[in-house]
Amino acid sequence: MTHFHRFALVGNPNCGKTSLFNRLTGARAKVANYPGVTVEKRSGIITGLASPIEILDLPGTYSLFVTSPDEQVARDIILGKLEGEQLPDLLIAVVDACNLRLGMRLVMELKSLNRPMVLALNQMDEAKRRGIVIDTQSLSTAIGIPIIETIAVNSHGVDQLRKHLDNYAQNTSILEGEQILTLSDRQESIEALYAEIESLMSRFVVQPVQYPVWQDRIDSVVMHPWLGILFLFSVLLVIFQAVFAWATPVVDLIDAGFSQTGSWISTYLPDGILKDFLIDGLIAGVGGVLVFLPQIIILFFFILVLEDSGYLTRAAFLLDRPMRGLGLSGRSFIPLLSSFACAVPGIMATRTISDPRERFITIMVAPLMTCSARLPVYALIIAAFIPQQTVWGIFNLQGLTLFALYFAGIVSAALIAWILRRQAAREEFPLLLELPSYRWPMAYHLLTGLRERAWIFIRRVGTIILALSIVLWFLATFPGAPEGATAPAIEYSYAGQLGTWMQPLFAPLGFNWQMCIALIPAMGAREVAVSALATVYAVGEDSIDVALGTTLAASWSLPVAFSYLAWFVYAPQCISTIAVVKRETNSVKSTVFFTLYLFALAYFAAWVTYQIASSIVS
Amino acid sequence: MNSYTFPSINLLQCKKGTQARVTDIFPQPKFGNQDPHVSLRLKELGFLPGARIEVIGFGFLGADPLALKVNGTKFALRRTEAEKIGVEIIPTGNH
Repeated sequence: MTHFHRFALVGNPNCGKTSLFNRLTGARAKVANYPGVTVEKRSGIITGLASPIEILDLPGTYSLFVTSPDEQVARDIILGKLEGEQLPDLLIAVVDACNLRLGMRLVMELKSLNRPMVLALNQMDEAKRRGIVIDTQSLSTAIGIPIIETIAVNSHGVDQLRKHLDNYAQNTSILEGEQILTLSDRQESIEALYAEIESLMSRFVVQPVQYPVWQDRIDSVVMHPWLGILFLFSVLLVIFQAVFAWATPVVDLIDAGFSQTGSWISTYLPDGILKDFLIDGLIAGVGGVLVFLPQIIILFFFILVLEDSGYLTRAAFLLDRPMRGLGLSGRSFIPLLSSFACAVPGIMATRTISDPRERFITIMVAPLMTCSARLPVYALIIAAFIPQQTVWGIFNLQGLTLFALYFAGIVSAALIAWILRRQAAREEFPLLLELPSYRWPMAYHLLTGLRERAWIFIRRVGTIILALSIVLWFLATFPGAPEGATAPAIEYSYAGQLGTWMQPLFAPLGFNWQMCIALIPAMGAREVAVSALATVYAVGEDSIDVALGTTLAASWSLPVAFSYLAWFVYAPQCISTIAVVKRETNSVKSTVFFTLYLFALAYFAAWVTYQIASSIVS
Repeated sequence: MNSYTFPSINLLQCKKGTQARVTDIFPQPKFGNQDPHVSLRLKELGFLPGARIEVIGFGFLGADPLALKVNGTKFALRRTEAEKIGVEIIPTGNH
């Protein structure tokens, strides 16, 4: 039982709810899962108050009469129906002032529940710019709900909201015990509700007829049947170029830092187990992964900007028809794009899809979108094997190779989706997608998002990856080589034995035993393959050469490198992906299918790549 | 609504740039059992008789989906959904 007041933010998608949440909590979100369901639970403590208030950021919803799993969770929490979650003490309804009718409709529906409520009228600055005038005071009196004007970009209105919430908390006691509201059937028709809203609007709101012209101008290009597609592909190409080219200076800097530390340790520390551990285990393992932080940040930066600006739904609009041929829809585009960062949030984002089969297909193919954890593996191998060259004047050959790998994943996803779609015909589901107004992404919101992502990555490096690096170093170091051994010491170690045992299975793909060892910890987190290779090769070498790429270039042939890349395009999913698939599909059968099909695909693709590349090279 | 309007047609029959007023929400057999839910959601989003709609564009292949503006909010609807919405065209130069 909590001893805090619990308030919940409710509102339409795109109403600026999350920005408001970040403002109120000082961007300290605690992200967890609701017990029993897999929807991400974002909660936080409102800062700067006498008594702490916990605030929940509910998934965006248009109505209490739900159509998707996402909206279902929002409704269940509002009604206190979700197990383990108490009825919120107060609802904070967030309404976009530029999109009043749609927002007010939900507010009127919530009002019928007779729960304490306050209305945050968000985006007031933009509304004023558009010439929308709202008599907030009178509107508030008419509907009997306190209204506070907020602007999520600056803290003025937010402070007022905070004061109001504080005041409310001071004067009311916390709800005790379980309480469940029942949602009665629609008592009044939607028509009657809208009539009421129209009457409120005519009395208290002056709205210009014109939608801002610049918004329509952007749409006439961005949503144009073929100009729009051209624009979309340019955007994607720029992102992949940026991930590779822009990050390089920072990556080099971090790399140099670790090399420096390594040589400093080797100069000042006496020879022995500690020195070996620090250099081969710790620096090679952790440093090898940490250098990819800049690339991951750049990728997330672009995804956040596209999402916040309102562009992503336009892309979904353009791609809806082509994707429908594959059993997907424009709605699957956003989860799939998120999967380029990480399949786990991507798969969780499929909750906005109301068609169960489309949702299933999206989940099945989401891991084929190259996630950021695979980026370190690609980056390492590409840098080692593909020359730094300019093609057609502007493109970088390494960037193009990266693009090709991403593309291979996308094409395979399309193929798999198309195959899965061919089961059982069924009725259609609607698209009904809101295309929100364009908006300048807010620096504060962006930084918050990036910090959250960077922190998750660094935490992984500090925990899972560190732990696995230590285990691997141990396996690769012990037992030592026997007296009079001729082969390198690592071949006698546990890791060497394990790798040698696995190697025949992967021999048709051209993998050597070092590559086989790296596959094991990669199940935990794919980027660990890099640190595993670093550790295995560092322990095997006599010299302290931190430049892993150089070592690989010397010891792998080109076909082997390509085969390894192909394996990782389909890479047997990491454990967390399998776990989230199990939770989201709630089916053992689907999860087993998911795991096996990706494993088989990876094996097959690597085999084909190896065979073809070998025959070309020889 | 005193001005002359054309007889009721569905939204699918409208060209880009058309201004229209919603007259009905029709049933759509392609949605099967959940058709009533689709109708409700359309209404909730503001597609109610009397609402003013502007067709603003079409998608990439086969003019599907279509983008439109209702009550100042833009939405993307597929042809199947658009077919549910009965409209009367507002002659241009009349707004």
